[in-house]
Parts: sequence; C-alpha cells; structure tokens
Amino acid sequence: MLVGLPLDNQTSATMSADENDKLCHWLNVVANDRCRQSFTRLFNHFAPRLRSYALKQFGNEAQAMELVQDTMTNVWQKAYLFNADKGAASTWIFTIARNIRFDMLRKQQSRKEDICSEDLWPVLFEQTADPKALSMEHNITLEQVEQYFESLPQKQKDVLEAIYFEGKSQQEVADELGVPLGTVKSRTRLGLQRLKEMLNEQD
Amino acid sequence: MSKINFHPDHSHLLAFATGEGQPGTNLMVSAHLDLCPMCREKVREIEAQQAHSEIEIAALDMMPGNYAAMLNSIMAKPLVADDVIGASYPKTIELDGRHFALPRTLQRYVHKTGNWSRLVGKLWQAPVDLGGVGSAHFIYMEKGGRVPEHTHRGSELTLVLDGEFSDGLNHYETGDMTFLDGRHQHTPMSDADEGCLVFSLVDKPLHFTSGLARLLNPFSHLFMK
Repeated sequence: MLVGLPLDNQTSATMSADENDKLCHWLNVVANDRCRQSFTRLFNHFAPRLRSYALKQFGNEAQAMELVQDTMTNVWQKAYLFNADKGAASTWIFTIARNIRFDMLRKQQSRKEDICSEDLWPVLFEQTADPKALSMEHNITLEQVEQYFESLPQKQKDVLEAIYFEGKSQQEVADELGVPLGTVKSRTRLGLQRLKEMLNEQD
Repeated sequence: MSKINFHPDHSHLLAFATGEGQPGTNLMVSAHLDLCPMCREKVREIEAQQAHSEIEIAALDMMPGNYAAMLNSIMAKPLVADDVIGASYPKTIELDGRHFALPRTLQRYVHKTGNWSRLVGKLWQAPVDLGGVGSAHFIYMEKGGRVPEHTHRGSELTLVLDGEFSDGLNHYETGDMTFLDGRHQHTPMSDADEGCLVFSLVDKPLHFTSGLARLLNPFSHLFMK
C-alpha cells in the first residue's frame, strides 16, 4: 500500500478551525467505522509531526519511531475516547504522546517509583465506565437507572448486561454473539453514553 | 467546597503539562488538579499551547522513517478490548473510624499506605510508598496538634485533603497546595474542630529550629524523613 506524503504546506502560525474540524471528523469516522482511509489521513498528518517532537525529546531514531508508533496505535485503537468538546484533535494527540514519552523514560531510567502516566494524566481513561459513580453523583435511585436501562436498544442492553451484570469481557461477549469486537465496543460505548445523557437530562 | 487560595505556580503547571516535572511533584500537582477546576483549566490551556508549538507547527520530519510499514502494522493489529470495569481503588482512607475522601490521583496509593502511628502530641502519620521519589506521608493533625517549628533542607510539598491548618505564615484550607523549601520556617498546627488531613512529600529530612525540638534533629529522619 502506498502512503501519500502529506502535502499540506501549512505555514501559518495558527491552525484554522477548519483544519481542526477536518481532523475531528476523521477521528470520529475512525471511532465509529474503523475507517482505514480516515486513519491513513490522520497518520499522514500527524506521524511526521510526532516524529519531529519525538526526535527533539529522545535524540535518537529508534526511540523516536517507537513513540510515533505507540502514539498512532492509541489513536487507531482509542479514537472513540476523543472528545471534541474538551479540546483540539492535536491537543489530544499531544497528550497521548506526552504520556508515552513519560512511560518510555521511566522504563529507560528504570526508575523505581511506580507513578505511571495514566495516574497523572488519565487521557485514555473511559470517563463513563463506572455507572455506580454516576448514580452517586446524580443522587438518583436504582429504580430510575433500571428504567433508563430498559429504554436502551435491545442490542446495547444485551452487551451491557453481559459485561456489567455477568462480568464477561468484551471479547467473550463478541465470541458469544458472533460479532466483531469493534461492534461490542461501540455498543458498550453508545449504551453508556445514552445512559449518561438520560441521567444528565434528569437534573 | 471551600475556596482554594494556594495553587501550584505556573512553572509547576508547565512542568506537569509537558511531562518534564519531577514525578513526585507531578503527583502532587495531579492531586491538586482533582480538587481545583481553575488549575485544570490552566493545564488544558498549556496543553493546547504545547500541542500547537510541538505538534501543529512542527517541522514535518519525512526522513528515513518507514511510514508505510508502520501504518500497515498499526491497522493490522487486532482491536484490544477495553478494561471496561477497570481497576477500582478505595475511595477513602480511614483513621480511627473516620473516613476521609481522597482525590482520584491518591486513591491508588491507599494500599501502599502503612499503618498510622502517633508522631508527637496530637499528630499522626502514615507512610506512603511511592517507590523512591522522596518521602510521602498522610499526616493528620488533631485539633491543637502542632509540628515543632522547622525548616527544610530540601523541599516540602503539602496538599490539604480535609479540614484546615495554619503554619504561622498562612492559613490553608482543603485543596490548598503549598511548596516550601529552606527559605521558610514554619510551625504547622490545626485549630479546626475536625482536625486536618494533609498529604505531604519531602525530599530531605526536616530541620527543627526551636527549643527542645532541636534535640529531635538527629532523629528527624526516623519520623518525618
């Protein structure tokens, strides 16, 4: 497969809102459809920039490429965690790269301390993953949660039930239902998102 | 929530946002951010600036990297399942039947916290093992509890987690974070009925400066190192 070189001769000091909209759109399509073409565009845009950052940080080829690869792997796997309301696409990707750099240095110096990047900067942390925390925060009753839960589409309910009530892993659920893992992930995410919206609306 | 008056300064926030700060200091800043929306906002701004200068307008480095192979190997990897339930850590720490809520950052250190021991007078401490980035403790001052006047040979970072205390220099409330070094002498004490719980990180033993407490200096590493 031939990868096109990035052709944008962007020289202006500020990135236009259009540019960010475009990047956000690609992230969105990668999150929802695992779109390879959109990811290729993101990759072409960010990989050379990340490499430039990484070379400055590490000063050597191998580590710089490791940082680029790990950062872009996270973008491919976890694009659904990007939230455009919280900041620009490039900011999100910078924070991922910063975290990976921190953990690489930690390993390299074999520092004894056990403070890892996700403790400090929970960038890749599923904010909606704990419905219990939500319900406490919003002071609502279990009956209400159940009512909301019942109103979800059947497919999302099945997945959430298997994971949260029966304690199955996403992979197990995917195998049982005979659907791709990505489908289980998006049903989990959409179901939790919808629940969260309903909980917020009721305030 | 009480009003927070003492925040990390800009250099701490910058070092945190770029990832270049000391791990222990970063941990302290992170715990402060859990309690302080204002500093969270500042860090978001710094991250956006850094993303701009380090990534957006970075030179496009096209050199020998084999981008096509990398791109393909990334997309060829199977999707990794999320850890949906996630590790869950205790949300509180307990002393004498009282439970204190902890900021997210510190929750995962609850199981690395040793037993509470009485320090001097109305002062309690429990050591927290961060694995060699200075010495961390939860410290609880009962009402009227006081730490003998001391100065620092290294630096001392303190975050107020519950209650309030004064140190002869200032008055601190929940969420306040202070940074002290050898230039400061202080005598922390709490007058709050509820006492005061802080998280403290020092990189060198304290140095006591007044009265009988000076006799403690040779031993200060034993209890507040």
